[in-house]
Amino acid sequence: MEIERRQPEQGRLLGAVPYVGAALILAIIPFFLSTYGEGLMTRFLIFALFAMSYNVVFGYAGLLSLGHAAFFGAGGYTVALLKLHYNVELFWISAPLGVLVATFTAALFGIIALRASGIYFLLVTFALGQMLYSLTWNVKWFNSPGMQGITGILLPDLAIPGFTLDTTSFYYVVLFFFGISFLLLYRLVRSPYGRALVGIREDESRMEAVGYDTWLHKYTAFVISGAFAGIAGVLFTYYNFFVSPNHFGIMTSFLPMVMAIMGGLGTLLGPVLGAGVFIFVENFSSIYFRARWPLVLGGLFVLTIIFAREGLGVYLWRLWARASHRHERIKS
Amino acid sequence: MDWFVINLLNGVSYGMILFLIASGMSIVLGAMGTMNLAHGAIYMVGAYVGWTVAVKWGATFGVGLLAGGLSAGLVGLAIERGLLRRLYKQPNEQVLLTFGFVYILTNLCLWIWSGWPRMPFTAEFLKGSFEILGRAYPKARVAVILIGLILGVGLWWLQDRTRMGAIVRAGMDDKETTMGLGINLERAFAVIFFIASFIAGVAGVIGAQLLGVRTSLGLEVLLLALIVIIVGGVGSIQGALLGGILIGVIDSFGRAVFPQLAMFTMYFTMLVVLIVRPAGLLGRKV
Amino acid sequence: MNALRVEHLFKQFGGVSAVNNVSFSVEIGERLAIIGPNGAGKTTLFNLINGQFPVTGGRIYFFEQDVTALPTHRRAQLGQARAFQIISLLQNLTVLDNALLTLHGTKPSRFKMFRPVEHFKDVFDQAIHTLDTLDLGEKKDELVKNLAHGEQRRLEIGLGLAMQPRLLLLDEPSAGLTKEEGTDVIGIIKNLGSDITILLVDHDMEMVFEVAERIIVLHYGQIIGDGLPEEIQADQRVREIYIGLEE
Repeated sequence: MEIERRQPEQGRLLGAVPYVGAALILAIIPFFLSTYGEGLMTRFLIFALFAMSYNVVFGYAGLLSLGHAAFFGAGGYTVALLKLHYNVELFWISAPLGVLVATFTAALFGIIALRASGIYFLLVTFALGQMLYSLTWNVKWFNSPGMQGITGILLPDLAIPGFTLDTTSFYYVVLFFFGISFLLLYRLVRSPYGRALVGIREDESRMEAVGYDTWLHKYTAFVISGAFAGIAGVLFTYYNFFVSPNHFGIMTSFLPMVMAIMGGLGTLLGPVLGAGVFIFVENFSSIYFRARWPLVLGGLFVLTIIFAREGLGVYLWRLWARASHRHERIKS
Repeated sequence: MDWFVINLLNGVSYGMILFLIASGMSIVLGAMGTMNLAHGAIYMVGAYVGWTVAVKWGATFGVGLLAGGLSAGLVGLAIERGLLRRLYKQPNEQVLLTFGFVYILTNLCLWIWSGWPRMPFTAEFLKGSFEILGRAYPKARVAVILIGLILGVGLWWLQDRTRMGAIVRAGMDDKETTMGLGINLERAFAVIFFIASFIAGVAGVIGAQLLGVRTSLGLEVLLLALIVIIVGGVGSIQGALLGGILIGVIDSFGRAVFPQLAMFTMYFTMLVVLIVRPAGLLGRKV
Repeated sequence: MNALRVEHLFKQFGGVSAVNNVSFSVEIGERLAIIGPNGAGKTTLFNLINGQFPVTGGRIYFFEQDVTALPTHRRAQLGQARAFQIISLLQNLTVLDNALLTLHGTKPSRFKMFRPVEHFKDVFDQAIHTLDTLDLGEKKDELVKNLAHGEQRRLEIGLGLAMQPRLLLLDEPSAGLTKEEGTDVIGIIKNLGSDITILLVDHDMEMVFEVAERIIVLHYGQIIGDGLPEEIQADQRVREIYIGLEE
């Protein structure tokens, strides 16, 4: 199911055009949007990153993890706790620490979860995520006084003299990190390591027999995935100004799953597409529709699983390819 | 001494409900290899229907119990026949599908019954208490223990002593041969799924007194079931029973001694089991 | 030094002894065939040698190194390659993808995370070259599941060889092949050099007698015959037990 084909030299340059084009659009769009619109785009980028991170562990490595929010929340809560207890607002301290904590959490959880295989892996990741939820819900230290969650988080301080972030400039910060993450993941999935993950997903025992330490591959995929989820979590906390235990919970874990699956697993852009559709439809649905939105989402999700397993994005792309093919034939 | 006994009884009665919740899920997982994440949501459906019948419409508790079980069973059957069946050889997809149903069922319940939680309820004749060691202890809780034991024995008998049980066990070990012997495995699966969902629905009605009736139950109960399965092991009634009672008792004493730890004792137990015996205490290899 | 030496191997599944006190050694460059009725333990034996199953008892020495506790991928690194009874190629990936993955498996570059896989020219060229040798060069972008059974078998064995193993384990390579395809496989095997040791399990007696220098007969997990093909053919006990042995 290879969507990203290797292309000959001139094709490679041509293939870069849509990416460059998209990057340009993302770069200039704030000039056309209100503050609210910018906020929405920021939210989209953050969740696109979250969904891409999930794609590594599930789409490429084939590990169905139900607790991905654990790392998202770990990154976010680190930033929040540093502000709450130590009044740290410096981006260059909070953000790296947030990603570090998320990565460490993934490293720890990965060892426990990978003792289980298949179905068990699922249960364990679910339970571990819920455990963090329970921790932050019950233990006072993880909450602002008198409430659930941590509030009072501001846009970060970049330590650039005379410059404070506003919505627009924060958008560019997020875009920057999204872009870097995308590039890194792009290289990762095309590398021998990334291809090996796909192989392991398809037939683990064959890959073992051919020389790959499959446990190590799965483990590192899990940790890498967690690290990128942590980046998303850090950015989200600054965007949201508030974190709550729900950000560790299964409903938050569900989001990147839905986005990645509906957009198309196994491709890098699929989750981004899925995130885009999700965020924008969620936002633009009417008041009445809004309340039933989860129901519609659930239904769409179920239909996607049954009929368009490789993602609605891929399904539609194929339809379009087939339609234009037919058009070509009619023309000649 | 009486503190100990009271907490033990609390733990065992809670554990029985956990057992009932987990048994259905464990059976389906062991027999069909399907992880049904919607199991908690099915429990919730049973609880809501049971409440509607027994409290809102004023029928007896027994009728409410039956209604809860049947509605849950039918929902489960519909999911299995209509949709899960199409994904026979794709376990990941099955799991995802059931998860989609958590969303759907939770929101359907929200739509039909709206968001405010219902009061815990139980049968008329079970209101009031026994005297145990000089303290009043709710009759309803004792009843839960008894019902749990009866159902437990019944399920065990079904598993170990009947033809259906043998079919399930054979199917677990070797699907192809079992089907080759002319046994209608598809029908067996449908029956198993129905029974598992029915039990979940019954558990929902009985458990209402302890867990309440609200839309967050779908996920809460799922989590409880998963913890019990992780601890007790998959695929056997004994595992679900052991896991349930163990967790129930540990949780009960944990809350009594360290109330601020809440669900932690459960998670801690789960982690220990995962590290020491990943397949669960009585687990077969899935 | 022996290529392979197994001593007092036991493998128990519950109450069943699939492999029961099996000992033998294989010289470097030798072509050894293991035959026996279905259920005799041949594939189990392979799984023990290759590491898919842990042993219940006994030791395995690969080029005098004790590999009994080593996981499969380590044994692959040390020079074991295997073709499985049921073709184990990655069906949903292309022929080229399969080749690249197989070849990278024993190379240190397999863990590289930052350069695209085509960048590793030496492996890429080797993959293309291997496919051309196997007459599958034109089909390199074809999904493996779209190949004919014989082509898949050829690819699997060919890729195993491309790993440049010291020991090649062939588990029923003739399964599902036509007479012609089977002859092709025999040809491939016979053309291999003496630097590679071959262990073959098969039911196709023609292939076995064409290829093997020595035969071991397995029955209920135990060795009941070990010797030259002519000796095994003449062995009365073997003929009684193993119906179908041809003249």
